[in-house]
Amino acid sequence: MALRASFVLELQRALGATHVITEPEQLRVYECDGLTGHRAIPELVVLPGSTEDVQVILRACSREHVPFVARGAGTGLSGGATPLAGGVVVSLARMNRILEVDLASQRVIVEPGVANLDVTRAVVDEGFFYAPDPSSQQVCTIGGNVAENSGGAHCLKNGFTVHHVTGATLVLPDGETVELGGKALDPEGPDLLGMVVGSEGTLGIVTRVTLRVVRTPEAVQTLLAGFETTDAAGAAVSGIVAAGILPSALEMMDRLTIEAAELAVAPGYPAGAGAVLLVELDGVSAQVEEDAVEVERICADCGAFEIRAATNDLARALLWKGRKSAFAAMGRVATDYYVQDGVVPRTRLPEVLRRIEELSEIHGLRVGNVFHAGDGNLHPLVLYDAEQGETERARDLAEAILDACLDAGGSLTGEHGVGMDKACSMPRMFSERDLEVFGRVRRAFDPEGICNPGKVIPTPRLCGEVPGPYRVHPLERMDVAERL
Amino acid sequence: MPSVSSLAEAAEVLATAHAEGRRLTIGESLSTEGLDRILEHEAGDLTCTVEAGLRLSTLQHALAEHGQRLSLDPPGDPTVGALLARNQSGPLRHRFGAPRDLVLGVTLVLADGTIASAGGKVVKNVAGYDLARLVCGSQGRLALIARVSLRLHPLPKAEQSLAIETDGAASVVRALLGSQLQPSALDVLHPGGILVLFEGSPRAVEAQVAAAQGLVGGGEVGTEAWNVSRRRQAEARGRLRFDPGRLGETLAELREAVVRPAAGVAYSGDDVPSNRLLQGKVESLLIERIQRELDPNGVLAA
Repeated sequence: MALRASFVLELQRALGATHVITEPEQLRVYECDGLTGHRAIPELVVLPGSTEDVQVILRACSREHVPFVARGAGTGLSGGATPLAGGVVVSLARMNRILEVDLASQRVIVEPGVANLDVTRAVVDEGFFYAPDPSSQQVCTIGGNVAENSGGAHCLKNGFTVHHVTGATLVLPDGETVELGGKALDPEGPDLLGMVVGSEGTLGIVTRVTLRVVRTPEAVQTLLAGFETTDAAGAAVSGIVAAGILPSALEMMDRLTIEAAELAVAPGYPAGAGAVLLVELDGVSAQVEEDAVEVERICADCGAFEIRAATNDLARALLWKGRKSAFAAMGRVATDYYVQDGVVPRTRLPEVLRRIEELSEIHGLRVGNVFHAGDGNLHPLVLYDAEQGETERARDLAEAILDACLDAGGSLTGEHGVGMDKACSMPRMFSERDLEVFGRVRRAFDPEGICNPGKVIPTPRLCGEVPGPYRVHPLERMDVAERL
Repeated sequence: MPSVSSLAEAAEVLATAHAEGRRLTIGESLSTEGLDRILEHEAGDLTCTVEAGLRLSTLQHALAEHGQRLSLDPPGDPTVGALLARNQSGPLRHRFGAPRDLVLGVTLVLADGTIASAGGKVVKNVAGYDLARLVCGSQGRLALIARVSLRLHPLPKAEQSLAIETDGAASVVRALLGSQLQPSALDVLHPGGILVLFEGSPRAVEAQVAAAQGLVGGGEVGTEAWNVSRRRQAEARGRLRFDPGRLGETLAELREAVVRPAAGVAYSGDDVPSNRLLQGKVESLLIERIQRELDPNGVLAA
């Protein structure tokens, strides 16, 4: 479906021709987000510079029934920003200003295109930071974080994006704006803001966000413990929780991911470890010191054969090095990998890990596990070689792992979102009625169904026929040919 | 008053009202007190799933046996459903948040009898729309909250409260919030008083109390001091919200109030303008549209 010339002209006049992209070569930049298996070339990309620009765009889209999708840095892993055929991509890249730093209120107001880490950069000298820390925080934007309710390694104690957004300006799909929340908490009425955060860009476009920033803790201590097995490390996790300790981060890596990390960045983790546990504690000094002693004792009791501690930033960075490079390091041990994002109740971790091991053997593909052990958010990395025709098998294995998570009472996704990737898997977690009610709520915001359609809620059109994963053509890989 | 004690019963009562065009007010013309079971409490996961008619005190008592609590301490003893529907919190709001911050999932019964769930029982989950948060503060107008999954915290090993008498509450609060101390509660009992609660290990609590006293003075008081705060909150005639940085100006305009300064919320005995009036027009229209989708016949309308 081609857009009408008058529609394009109207947006060019309103935004300036340079902020409306129509050239196929340039449009291709927007063909996918971090979920590279799904691609589509948008008809048009627009780059608004203000809330008013966004209103103009959405009013035009609404009038002409043109579907649109908002886009931040495009680092999302579930295809939430995958363009819609015949639709418009609204890139918030130009709206990247920090509008107000109000430390007396412990709030920062930003436009959606501001990078996550830039919020902390704006307040760190005054002793504050923005807590949610998705691993892409150098580049991912606050708008994208709001859409996905992003977490990060430290959300175990500090909470997710939803706990740190106190207000937002939302442009509804018909172009009207609504102010939700503000600097003060607990507004009257249903918590619309709490639902808009994490709605994956399907209820409107957020153009201004009020964030809570928090005081940097007095003390931070990081411990790394090497165990023979993930079972032993899992027992330590349970022990820490049972002791009433709430670490700011509690991360685990298994043998395969440790090996890959050693090959990639040589973090020098305990030799021969079948599992590594990374525990970060923060807060008031007296509490951190006491908890650190307790965590060390618990790890030792559970069979840790080596425990290292870091109390300064440099030593801490070293301990985190392997964990932070884990995904990228997989390239050292496999040509392709598929990241899964299931969640299980923490107490079911050991049995689910064993189940993943069984499934890995059944499917004949290796699975590396790196995960947020504290909150049961697993990131199994299914390793495969697309050129050996293993893609389908990898997908099947990834799906089987998700089923194991759901069977254990968990969730389809802990932080990557449903987007396009898992829309068709939603019926495995929610009943038809649940999904129908989601649809009703969505309709209240977007009666015309133009706001990022096809994402989050499965549709027969979308799920009757699941599109195959994108495969890199061998010629493309050799840089001989490009896809247009 | 009809009382329901199962999801099916609740669905039937609501669907009948829907069909007959009658109105129901949850907690008044429809009681959920029969929905009072703790369905699951997995201590190792620090989560529980309960029926929404359960009284908060009953839940807290059961959790305490496992050394845990739901970190919400509003005045009175609401049912869990009312706690969410009214978005109630108490002094612990300072550190642990409001119901919307601790709810993980819900099962709702819509006015037409549809039973639907959202969220889950795990602490981390971004699948689907967060209807569990949506119904927080909904005053029972969107749906009947039937089941709730909640995030729990361990009971602190020790606690100590500090009372500070001052004419300059704003500067004392600024000093405390600007420090690296981590109080669990911080209330301004305007005029003239501030209460601070520290929780943790005995040694850490002692260290925090000493550091706080060094910073702003004050003397140790018993836990019962917080009952005054909760009572005054319950007796307040209105609630207002303010930019947390404007505490000084806000206090200057109020004769009397219990204030949660970090949240920017004050419960006052003065005549304060209803916050309802401050809700934007578009927001009100949006809420009406959601109500029409979830409850087309207005069974739960005010």
